[in-house]
Formats: sequence, C-alpha cells, structure tokens
Amino acid sequence: MKAMGTVVMLGMWFAAFEGVAFATAEAVLSAQEQEGKHLYDRTCIYCHGPGLWATNRIAKRLDKDHALLENRTDLSAEGIRAIVRSGVGSMPPLRKTELSDAEVDAIAAYLTRTAR
Amino acid sequence: MAQSSVRPPGVSAAAFKDALKAFGEIVGPEWVLVTEEERHSYLDAFAPGNPDEHAASAAVAPKSAEEVQAIVKVANRYKIPLWPVSTGRNLAYGGSAPVLRGSVVLDLKRMRRVLEINEELGYALVEPGVSFFDLFDALQAAGGKLWISTPAPGWGSVIGNALEHGLGYTPYGVHTDTICGMEVVLPTGELVRTGMGAVAGTREWQIFKYGYGPVWDGLFTQSNFGIVTKMGVWLMPQPEAVANVVVSLPNAGDLPVMVDTLRPLRLNDTINATYTIMNPFRSIVDGFSMQGKSRPDIYQGRDSIPFDVVAKELAAEGRALWNATFNLFDRDKGLDLRLAAIQEAFAHVPGAKVLTKRWQRGQPIEQWMRVQPGLFALGIVDWYGGPGGHMNFAPVVAPIGKRVGDLYEAIYKRFVEYGVDYYCGLLNVGPRALLVNAVMFFNRDDEDLIRRGRELYRVLAKDGIAAGFGDYRAHISFMDAAADMYTFNGHALRALNERVKDALDPQGILAPGKQGIWPHALRGNKEGHS
Repeated sequence: MKAMGTVVMLGMWFAAFEGVAFATAEAVLSAQEQEGKHLYDRTCIYCHGPGLWATNRIAKRLDKDHALLENRTDLSAEGIRAIVRSGVGSMPPLRKTELSDAEVDAIAAYLTRTAR
Repeated sequence: MAQSSVRPPGVSAAAFKDALKAFGEIVGPEWVLVTEEERHSYLDAFAPGNPDEHAASAAVAPKSAEEVQAIVKVANRYKIPLWPVSTGRNLAYGGSAPVLRGSVVLDLKRMRRVLEINEELGYALVEPGVSFFDLFDALQAAGGKLWISTPAPGWGSVIGNALEHGLGYTPYGVHTDTICGMEVVLPTGELVRTGMGAVAGTREWQIFKYGYGPVWDGLFTQSNFGIVTKMGVWLMPQPEAVANVVVSLPNAGDLPVMVDTLRPLRLNDTINATYTIMNPFRSIVDGFSMQGKSRPDIYQGRDSIPFDVVAKELAAEGRALWNATFNLFDRDKGLDLRLAAIQEAFAHVPGAKVLTKRWQRGQPIEQWMRVQPGLFALGIVDWYGGPGGHMNFAPVVAPIGKRVGDLYEAIYKRFVEYGVDYYCGLLNVGPRALLVNAVMFFNRDDEDLIRRGRELYRVLAKDGIAAGFGDYRAHISFMDAAADMYTFNGHALRALNERVKDALDPQGILAPGKQGIWPHALRGNKEGHS
C-alpha cells in the first residue's frame, strides 16, 4: 500500500487529565497508521480518551505517564493484538466481526508508530 | 476448518462438522468462527460464574438477510441451535453468549447498513449490526436534524436494544416504542415484513406501526420467534433547547416523596424524558468511576458497604443522599415554563434543591445531554476493584411513593443479608412505570461474592413472586427464574409462549431458553440451564 503521509496533530486532546496537559507534537503517519488512528478514534477513544475511565484506571495501576495509550512508546503490536482479541480487565474482547485482523494491525501500527 | 471443543447438545461430531461446512458455503469459510480464540470472544465477558457454562460451539456471521435465511435452513436440517446477536454487547445480560451451551452464535454485526434516513418524517431503517455510534455518525453526516436516543453503552445495537426493551434518556427513551416495521427471518427460514412492510412496494413502512391485522412487532421483542434483519426506528427532531435538572433531597427516607413529586410532572409531560433516581450508593459509585477510584479506596469489608460509609462520602463531596436527574427537551421558552413548574413542585418538599443547566441549538453537544453515545457506563463495572461484572434485578413498579419505598427497602434488606453492595437506580419507563434497577457488582475472580450474588437474585425473584412483582429483563443464567415470576393462572403466559414457539419453530433451533421460552424437546431440561 502506498504510504500517504498525512500530518496530524497529536495531542489535540489537551483537555486536562488529572491536572496533566499533554504536549502536542506533529507526526507523519503512514497510510496504515492513518487508518489505525481513524479506527482508534472510532473504537478505542470512548474509554481510552483523556480523562475517561480506562485512562484513569491505567493511571492508577501504572502511572500517569502510561495512562494515555496514544502517548505510550512502550507498547508492542503483539501485546495490542492480544488485548484486543482476548480483552483485559473490564475490556471485553473485540471480535473479528467488529474489527478485522487487518484493522487490529492498523491500530497496533498507530499505537506503536515510531514517528512522533 | 478448525474443530470446536464444544458441540450443540444431541448433535454428532460428524453432523456438526457438516453443518459448519454448509454454513461456510453460505457466508464464506472465514466467517465461520470456531477457533478457541474466536469462540472465546463470544463468551459472556461479565459472566457471574464460569463463562463456559454458556459457551458457544461456534459463530457464523452472515452479511445479508438471504444468508440468514440459508443459515436457518441448514440449522433446521442438522438441528443446530442458533443464538442471534446484533452486536453482542448485551453486557450484564449475557453479552453474546447463549442460554444453551453449545449453541452457534448467529453474529449479525456484519449487517451494519443504515438503509435510510428520513429527516422529513423522522425515522431511520437500519440493520442489526448498526450500533448507536454508527447511527449517530450517519445522522450527523446526513445533516444532524435528527437525534438518537442512546442507552448507557453506545456500542450496543439500535435494533438489539429496542428488542431487549432497552431505555434511553430523551422523549424517545422507551426504545421498544420507537420500533416501526420489521423484516424478520422466521425460524423455518421464511422472510416476512411487518406492518405496512407487508404491502409490496410500500413507501409507508416506517410511518404506521399497525398495518392490517395483528401487530407482530412486539412478538419479536424479548423472544425467540424470529430473527430481525431490518427495523424502522423513529427518531426525535433536534430540539431548539435542552435543560438538565438535578433534584437533591437530604434525608435517607426521602425516596417516596421524590417519587410522588416527580410522578405528576412526568404524567402531564412537564418532564418529557426518562428520569433516573439514584440511591445514595449509586451517587458515589458514578463519581468514583470517573476518578479511577473504587470500593477498596473507602471500604474493605466483605459485607454490604455500610450506609454511614456511603453517607460520609457523599457529605465529603457536598452531595445529598437522594439525587434525581433528567433532561427536558423543548423550545427555550418552553423550558422556562417546564422548569418553573418543577421548581414550584419541589418548593413544597423540605430540603429540596433543584439545579439546572441549559443548552441551545448551535452550541456543542455536551455529555450531560445524553444524546451522544459513549462508553462511560463501563467505568463502574470494576467497583470491587476488578476485573468486574454485574447482574441486575429490576422489577417493575408503579411510581407511587409508598409502594416504591417499600419495594426499595425490601430489596435493600436482602442485599445487606447477602452482603452485596446496593447500587440502585430507579428509571421511569414512560409516565406510569418505574424500574427499580438493583445492580449486583462482583469481581469475576471472587467466587464467594458471585455465589452470594446469584443466590441474591434467586431470593429476590422468590420475594417478587410473593409480593406480585416481575423482573423486566434478565441475565441468561436467570431467564427461567425471571419467567417464573409471571405466575398468573399457572404460568398461562409461558404456556402461550410455548405454543407459539412450537408452531413457529417446530425443530426448536432458534435461541432455546431465551426469556425462559424453551422448545418442546428441551422443556424438561429447563432447570439445568438456570
């Protein structure tokens, strides 16, 4: 697939999250990462957005720096795929009829992107 | 094709293999989901106990009504029980898991077209895989003149939620009432359309519910009489303005006066949408979930959390013991009149406080308006620390203060007796009914708490029988127990349901045990499944 570089503003979610404001940064996304961001915003953001319950739960279990998935640099594609398909804690698994394997791969690519 | 470690009861390995192969020829082999990982994704994610008790043997995911028809015919040939799910997010009621272990889940999520949006007449025609998120997006793309009514979790199906008698928080909040016209695959594979849809070439399918003759739509809700493949849903035109109201009362015994004060306001449509009365415990839990806090932060006992702990938390937040919240939808001047009437009514209640906020067309939609789907509700599930789940007992009661108060207290005593925290919201279903939605949270790895929760449900159901109440909806583990509450004339309603079931589904392949309706061949096994 041809890489269609797209500039997006990461960290547009500057709403305060427990007193922490996330810095903005520019990044060039590949086509797969762009698709992953689109899917993330349609699927994951409802719990993992800034200030939302899953973000707050992760902040409590790990720390605030690891709370917002989009800001993490320590996630692995393999781990993301496993969690999406198997679920974790109160997060149920997402089925193939909800997200195809290619779509899960795209989300994983977005969350593990190197360009930030 | 991979083999499943679970089989439908009474079906040989060879027959099951042939059936799966036949399903694959209909939908494509990639949409027959049978590996352990795939089957795992159809387990009840919030199971109160071992989810394997309700494990599916496989799932099959069609793309069209024609494929559903073909699957049903194969299921009849091999006597494979099918458990249809729309998006499979009926969490706390079983999610996508079947009542009968070994059923094949008929996953309709791939059927996710919004077939029509009609802004002139205020309706949409959708397929079962369309979630509230999907419909919201489609309506926004169409111009945003129509609003959805969404339940707490937005990833649920518009069709599935209406079929399960779900609720939202707008004037269109009784979702079953918004159904207008269905397309249904019957358990023997025939395709029918209800209401005006029975007229070939009609353009009036979604505007008149009744058609000519009996109205069938209700028979396909909370039942196992057919598979709904299309449905019309009425939608609310965007109002000019919205107001939110929070009514607070200070005393532990204020529930009856809250109910009696709200009732006439709802009955005369001053309050024109669903209201929720939160018990003291619910008020702290809802706040905690957004803060990442849970029970262990304030209480570690194995008993039901004491009232004084709850009251202390609320006092620390400056909140009252009883809080009711609802939204009003009108023109701006209309809201002024409605709010004045509400203020006047509660001016007569000692200690009452009424807080309001407003929205006008053109302003951004805000979360409190509850017209944009989200997943905020999932945050409460880990109340006991997680990984959590919950089940509900929600008897129907008239909004008469004393009657509601007595029922609320009777349930409260049982929760204390069984050592379960008493999270309770009282929601109106139209102007004349309340659900006392008593929620039993648990950690999924806490066998003792789950056992107590399950026993609690059963004793509450027995109490309900003695007092003349019925549950409105139930988890797959308790569908028989809930059906048992409908006792009139020797459970004559269940007998009628069974006669209809046997007539429409002679092989008994569609969702055996749903709502306590079992096909003839499995009726004797009922107790084993509840």
